[in-house]
Amino acid sequence: MKKWVTLATLLIFLMVPFLASGGVPLDTVKTNVNSVLDVMRDPKLKGDAGKKAKEQKVMAAAEKLFDFVELSKRTLGLNWNKFTPEQRKEFVELYKTILKDAYVDKITAYTDEKINFTKEVSLSETTIEVQSTIITKTTEVPVYYRVIKKDSEWKVFDVVIEGVSLINNYRTQFREILGNNPPATLLDTLRKKAGKK
Amino acid sequence: MSRRGPVCRRENKSFSGLTVCIVFLLSLLLAFSTPQGIADAQEKPSDEYGDVTEEVATSGEGPTIADPIEPWNRAMYHFNDKFYFWLLKPVGQGYKYVIPETFRIIFSNFYENIMMPVRFVNNLLQGKPDYAGRELVRFVINSTMGVAGFRDVAKDGFGITGRKADLGQTLGKYGIGSGFYIVWPVLGPSNPRDTVGLVGDHFLRPPTYLSSDWLDTETWAITAHEKVNYLSFHIGDYETLKEAAIDPYIAIRDAYVQYRKKLIEQNGESQESGQTSKGDKKE
Repeated sequence: MKKWVTLATLLIFLMVPFLASGGVPLDTVKTNVNSVLDVMRDPKLKGDAGKKAKEQKVMAAAEKLFDFVELSKRTLGLNWNKFTPEQRKEFVELYKTILKDAYVDKITAYTDEKINFTKEVSLSETTIEVQSTIITKTTEVPVYYRVIKKDSEWKVFDVVIEGVSLINNYRTQFREILGNNPPATLLDTLRKKAGKK
Repeated sequence: MSRRGPVCRRENKSFSGLTVCIVFLLSLLLAFSTPQGIADAQEKPSDEYGDVTEEVATSGEGPTIADPIEPWNRAMYHFNDKFYFWLLKPVGQGYKYVIPETFRIIFSNFYENIMMPVRFVNNLLQGKPDYAGRELVRFVINSTMGVAGFRDVAKDGFGITGRKADLGQTLGKYGIGSGFYIVWPVLGPSNPRDTVGLVGDHFLRPPTYLSSDWLDTETWAITAHEKVNYLSFHIGDYETLKEAAIDPYIAIRDAYVQYRKKLIEQNGESQESGQTSKGDKKE
């Protein structure tokens, strides 16, 4: 154990200049995306019995990858401010459930595909875009992760697939509802949607 | 949301736990060793559920489109939805079951190859002669060494990739606005500009010239096969989109607008049209 600690300490000092020079966001996203995929590929978690455990593990890995609060804020935009603190918390949870239900199966289908992480592009002072490509049998799909630094960790707050931003897509839909209705109506709609599965 | 402390304590037993700790410690170390990190730590509000600022709320605001004929569009959306589930999907699934993937990839390569004129002309019109040239070279290599376009030798063997280009995109690059949203039966989401583009590109597609008769069955059969072959690789995509949406009609409209805008703004590279065959993946 002591040996490991010594080794680890050494590693830290060796890695600091490398990490500080950039590439941290890309590596973080890559590591966290891969850990989600590793759970997906885990042969021990196959079948109905493993499904529940798998879903929990996927969500735990997803929590490390995403900042769901930031994602929610940026989806709602200024409408977020119309929500009470309780409503905000409920919104984040419901939104998370809906995304999980919709995309977990889809990511499972993509586990055999090769993913290349290519580069980082600075978006603003605090946000960076990590670009990747999913190589399928007949085409290449560009998938960009937009990350923000939170507590010195890089967390994803938007995923852009083929130029389509996830949060913009939901913002347009939520805006339609919030245009004529109070936040409670939107929460009601989301509750129904999340409860279906 | 997990905090650093508990994670370290909980997983300390295993080596992977230790690694996690190292990473966390490292990030901590980094955060406080730079002035920026200190600033970050200080300005971070205690309540992460706090209000959003105008700046954050409006950053990355997506494009929108006028939808004056929404009732028609929604009706067409429902028609297309039924068309997909009742006809296209069963046909695509049957096709996928019967035809081995290897052959479907060959067909996919073949269709991609013969559509070269569309990409060639539009790359030229968009002032990208280099990409137009690459499309031409790809066509020559794939039609000969790739046996009539069955394999993408240009990419797999020579690393030459092309660039997707269509007339709607060309018109967009010329500064012509998209206009309003239209959903066509069978063809799906569009707008006046992209509809003009679609008609124009039709005359650059080789199958159009198979027969002088507009209603020629052979031409239609080829187009149908191309679509079904494409679909066989994409069954489930529409379902996911629909499942994920609160209002699928709005979600698809928004996705279409964002996708087209991106294609018009992009200049190349990440929208290369080269294909990856299965053989390539295995290596």
